[in-house]
Amino acid sequence: MAAARPALRRAIPSLRSSTFLPHHHQRPQCLHHHVTISQRSLSTSSPFCNDTQTTTSSPSSDRETHFGFSTVTESQKRQLVASVFTSVADSYDKMNDLMSFGWHRIWKDHFVSTLNPGFAPLSSSDPSSPQHILDIAGGTGDIAFRMLHHAHTVNSNPNVNVTISDINRAMLSVGKSRSAELPASQQAALSFVEANAEDLSKTRPLTPILSQSEQTFFDPATATSSIPDNSVDLYTVAFGIRNFSDIPAALREANRVLKPGGIFACLEFSKADRHPLFNSVYKEWSFRAIPLIGQLVAGDRDSYQYLVESIERFPRQEEFRDMILDAGFKVSGQGWEDLTGGVAAIHRGMKPRV
Amino acid sequence: MTSPGAVTYSGAAARRILLRPATTVRSLSRSLPTTAARPLTTSTSTLPSRQQTSPQPQQRPPRHLQSRTYHSTTHPSPPGPFTQAETPLLTTALTSHVPLHGFTLTSLTLAARDLSLLPISPSFLGPSPVFRLIHYHLYSTRTTLSSLTAVHSASLSGLSPPEKVELLTWLRLKQNEAIIPHWQQALAVMAQPSHVPTAVKELALLADEIYYLAGDQSVDPSWYTKRGGLSGIYAAAELFMTTDKSEGFQETRRFLRRRLQEAEELAGVAKSVGEWIGFTASAGVNVLRSKGVRI
Repeated sequence: MAAARPALRRAIPSLRSSTFLPHHHQRPQCLHHHVTISQRSLSTSSPFCNDTQTTTSSPSSDRETHFGFSTVTESQKRQLVASVFTSVADSYDKMNDLMSFGWHRIWKDHFVSTLNPGFAPLSSSDPSSPQHILDIAGGTGDIAFRMLHHAHTVNSNPNVNVTISDINRAMLSVGKSRSAELPASQQAALSFVEANAEDLSKTRPLTPILSQSEQTFFDPATATSSIPDNSVDLYTVAFGIRNFSDIPAALREANRVLKPGGIFACLEFSKADRHPLFNSVYKEWSFRAIPLIGQLVAGDRDSYQYLVESIERFPRQEEFRDMILDAGFKVSGQGWEDLTGGVAAIHRGMKPRV
Repeated sequence: MTSPGAVTYSGAAARRILLRPATTVRSLSRSLPTTAARPLTTSTSTLPSRQQTSPQPQQRPPRHLQSRTYHSTTHPSPPGPFTQAETPLLTTALTSHVPLHGFTLTSLTLAARDLSLLPISPSFLGPSPVFRLIHYHLYSTRTTLSSLTAVHSASLSGLSPPEKVELLTWLRLKQNEAIIPHWQQALAVMAQPSHVPTAVKELALLADEIYYLAGDQSVDPSWYTKRGGLSGIYAAAELFMTTDKSEGFQETRRFLRRRLQEAEELAGVAKSVGEWIGFTASAGVNVLRSKGVRI
C-alpha cells in the first residue's frame, strides 16, 4: 500500500489548516479520517523507539507542544506521533540496528539487568515475593521480554508479572505476535493493555485490529478497566517518554500507580555534549545519516527526521532529573546514568514511603 | 569609543581589573592544599570538620556548591555524593546486614525490607547498587574520621606529625574491623574497571583527610609525595589486614609502622641524593667557570 509517501512534514500544515481543529477537543477521535490517510502514507516507517505514547486528556488538547522542531497543539502531536508509529512491524529491528550499530540491544540489556527484576535474597526460606512490572510504551515487547527472561530464568522467580502498555494498538499487536515465541510460563505472566500513560486510570485490554481503516490509538472513552494506585513494583519506559505530550503528567501518573518503594526507570536518548568532539560526530550521524537510512531502507525520510528532532528537543539529563524529583520521586546521587557518553541515559527514581 | 556607553564599560572593566588582585590572592591562598588546616594540638573539642560528619546533603544544591577544590573551615561543606533518600537504606545495610552477608545485593534487599520498602527498591541506587554500598562505606568512614580524632585528641596532642599520621591511619583501618571478612570481596568489586576511578578518588581523599587532620602544612612538591606515599601504604595495610588473624590486628599495626618508617627513610635518602646532586652540579659548574667557560 501507499505507493506515494507524502511527507509527515507536509502533514503538519495540513493538520494546522484543517477546519476541525477548533472543535476536536470534544471528540478527538473525529480526526480519525485524516489520520488514517497519514497512517497509510507512513506505513512502513520504523522509528527507533518502540512506543507511541502521546497526549492527552481532552481539555488540554489545544495546548501547544512540539513535534520535532515544529510547534503543534497536543492533539495534533498525538495524531502525528500515532501516524509515525503505526505499522512499524517488519523493518523495526533492522532500522534500529542500522541506526545505532546494534547498540540499542546493549542499552536495553543493561537497562534490564541493572534493574534486576525478580531478585529475592532468601528464596529458600522466604517465598519469593511477587512483583508487578508495568512497561509503558512497550509496544513491541523489547523491554518486557527481557524483564521476563531476567526474572524467570536468571533470578528463578516465576512470581513476576509484566504488563505491556501502549497507546498504539498496532505496536501492541506486534508485541503480542512476537510473544508467541516465548516459553508458555512467560506468556502466562504477560498481559497487554491499551492506555495513555498520562492517565492510567483508563485502560482496556488489547483488542485485535480487524480492519486497516480502524483507529489504532487508544480512545479513553472506550476504557473498561484501570491501573489502581500503589499497585506496581517497577515502572519502566524505554525510548518512549520523549513522545509524550505532557511528560510531567505522565510522571505524576507513574508516581500514583507505583507502590511506596517502587522504582521508576526510564531509558531515553539524551545529550552527549560533554564530549564536544564525539558529540559533533554523533550530531552529523543523526541529522544526516539517520534520515537518509530511513529513506533508503524504510522509504520514509520524514518519520526519521521527526525522530532525530524529537531527540534534540528532549530535556537535558539535569532538567529531566528535576522533573522526576518534582513528580515526587527520590533519586540516588546525580540521578541518572549516561550510556555511550550520554547518547542515551537511564534515569532511576524511587517512590518514597511517606 | 568616546560614547558614554564605552566610558561606562571601560569604567566597569577597570573596576573589575582593580578588584582582581585581591580576589586572586584570596582564592590562591584557599586553593593551597592545607592552608585551612588547624593542628590538632590547638583544639580538643571543636576540630575542624571540612566534611560533614553525617552525610545528609540537600537534594538539589546550587551548582557552585557542588564541588570545591579547596577546604574551608569557615564555609559549609559541599554536599557529598549521597542524597538523603539513599542514606537510610545504605546505613541500614552497612550496620545490620553487611557484617553477615557482605557487600551484596542481599544485604541491600534485607535493608529495604527493614525499612518497609520493596525488594526492587535497591535498584534506584544506580547501575551497581553493590558498589554504591561500598562507596558509602568508604565515604562514611572517611567523614567520621574527624570526629574520631576529636575523641582521641588527648593521645594525639603530644605526637609529632608523622606519629599523628600513623595513628590516624590506624584509626581508619580499625573502622574496617566489623566488615573485614568481606573486605577482599569489596576490593575485588572496587577493582572492576568502571569502579576504579571512584575508588582511587576515595583513596586520594582519605590520604588528604589524614594529612589535613594531622595538621600538615606543606605547600611544596612534598604535598604530592606525602599523599601518594600514604595512599599506597594505606592500600597495602588494608590488604594485609584482610588476612591478619592476630589479636586486635596488632600485626597490621606493626606492618603499617614499618611501611611508614620505610617511607620516611626513603624520603630522607631521596633528600640526601638530591642535595648531593645539587652540590656536585654547582661544584662542576664552578670548576668549569674557573677554567674560563662562560656559563
